[in-house]
Amino acid sequence: MEQILQQMPIVIGALNTGFLQTLKLFFVTLLGALPLGLVIALGSMSRSLVISLFTRTIVWIVRGSPLMIQLLIIYYFPGLVLHTPIWGGGESGRFLAASVAFILNYACYFSEIYRGGIQGIPRGQDEAGLVLGMTPRQIFFHVKLLQMIKAIVPPISNEIMTLVKDTSLSRIIALQEIIWAGQSFLKGSQGISGAIWPLFFTAVYYLVWNGIMTIVLGRVEKRLNYFR
Amino acid sequence: MKKLLSVLLAAAMLLTLTAAFAEDSDLAYVEGKGTLVVGITDFAPMDYKNEAGEWIGFDADMAKAFADSLGVKVEFVEIDWDNKVLELNGKTIDCVWNGMTLTDEVKAAMSCSNAYANNAQVVILPADKAAQYADVAALSGLTFAVEAGSAGEAEVKALSYATTAVSTQADSLMEVAAGTSDAAVIDALMAAAMVGEGTGYANLTYTFSLNSEEYGVGFRTGSDLTEALNAFFAGAYADGSMMGVAETYGVQAAIIPQA
Repeated sequence: MEQILQQMPIVIGALNTGFLQTLKLFFVTLLGALPLGLVIALGSMSRSLVISLFTRTIVWIVRGSPLMIQLLIIYYFPGLVLHTPIWGGGESGRFLAASVAFILNYACYFSEIYRGGIQGIPRGQDEAGLVLGMTPRQIFFHVKLLQMIKAIVPPISNEIMTLVKDTSLSRIIALQEIIWAGQSFLKGSQGISGAIWPLFFTAVYYLVWNGIMTIVLGRVEKRLNYFR
Repeated sequence: MKKLLSVLLAAAMLLTLTAAFAEDSDLAYVEGKGTLVVGITDFAPMDYKNEAGEWIGFDADMAKAFADSLGVKVEFVEIDWDNKVLELNGKTIDCVWNGMTLTDEVKAAMSCSNAYANNAQVVILPADKAAQYADVAALSGLTFAVEAGSAGEAEVKALSYATTAVSTQADSLMEVAAGTSDAAVIDALMAAAMVGEGTGYANLTYTFSLNSEEYGVGFRTGSDLTEALNAFFAGAYADGSMMGVAETYGVQAAIIPQA
């Protein structure tokens, strides 16, 4: 116990640094994937067969293969196959590659949730809009979009909570997020070696963060209640 | 659709062509970009961070001196040890310089420098059980936690003892501490730092050495940096600077003479 108290300041410092990286990846992914998901959703619902087939194929590939493999491909392929390591070896390059992988992956999952939300709106509303002389674009943005947002908050919340934990997969390309930071003390880092507790302690960070997320997303859901 | 297919095919062909013509001098490549990117893991006393957050250690200091001799900057990047060959071939790092044991697998996958230090694989046991085993033969029937792809795993497999593969050497210690495996096999240098009195694994102890082995530096296959490093090692050993660095980190007994 005394030893843990001694190690505490160093370990907490390292875990905080790692968790900051985790959160950075979390927010960048949301910022990129939430809008990109809508684009992909519209693409897969497109009346043009080429566009819808193309986006559906991408969604199939991204959802059908492990995120860990996608991270490896996106980070290592440019150097291995093209002989031009576009990301570079440093921390910022690894973060960028991880961001691209996560945004693409989550956008595909979000797109299917969006699609469900959009197609779940009764067809009568389209017809009513047309009768009132609205264009399909006006019907989508003024009538359907907000109803869709309300319908998709619960499934999106699910994905958001999974996302926080999924960021730990980026350690496969040596992005130093919190799990990496916790594990480093097992092997030895900053004069502490063979310490098991930091790795397990990382779970507390995820728990607290997802607790905050539960409250925030619950509030969002409540604010959208005015449709009923 | 046909158009799309033909564009894709053309792109694929272009890729293979660039791949074929991309072979070039690695030394010129590193000098051209002005930085030697060194792939490491946090591994005292070879590569670790000082209080200022700067990478030091026997390997780190030698890497800095080598980069100086080439007239380029050095950049240390922490990698996942399992992916070291991927990192090298993907050019995200230029060398693996981190107390790497020269196994046959390593030699086949990379262009390796001359060996510069000695190491051994040692057996880790719970301290209260260590006395029950008189020699290595007495260990048969135990389950060994070993790092997947490590030199320790190869040694245990050679003895045909049961193994459980884990992802790092440190994880293998956790296995023994938690009682999920009977024993572990890790590097002697690491064992000295990680188990016994005053460490996180006070209840473990290290016992028999299974082999003796050597450390080397790995470059991309066919790289001309390997020759450059061998020449640098010979010079640094001759002028005493290599031993000087070794004494700073207490590894002078392990250093292999370079010529």
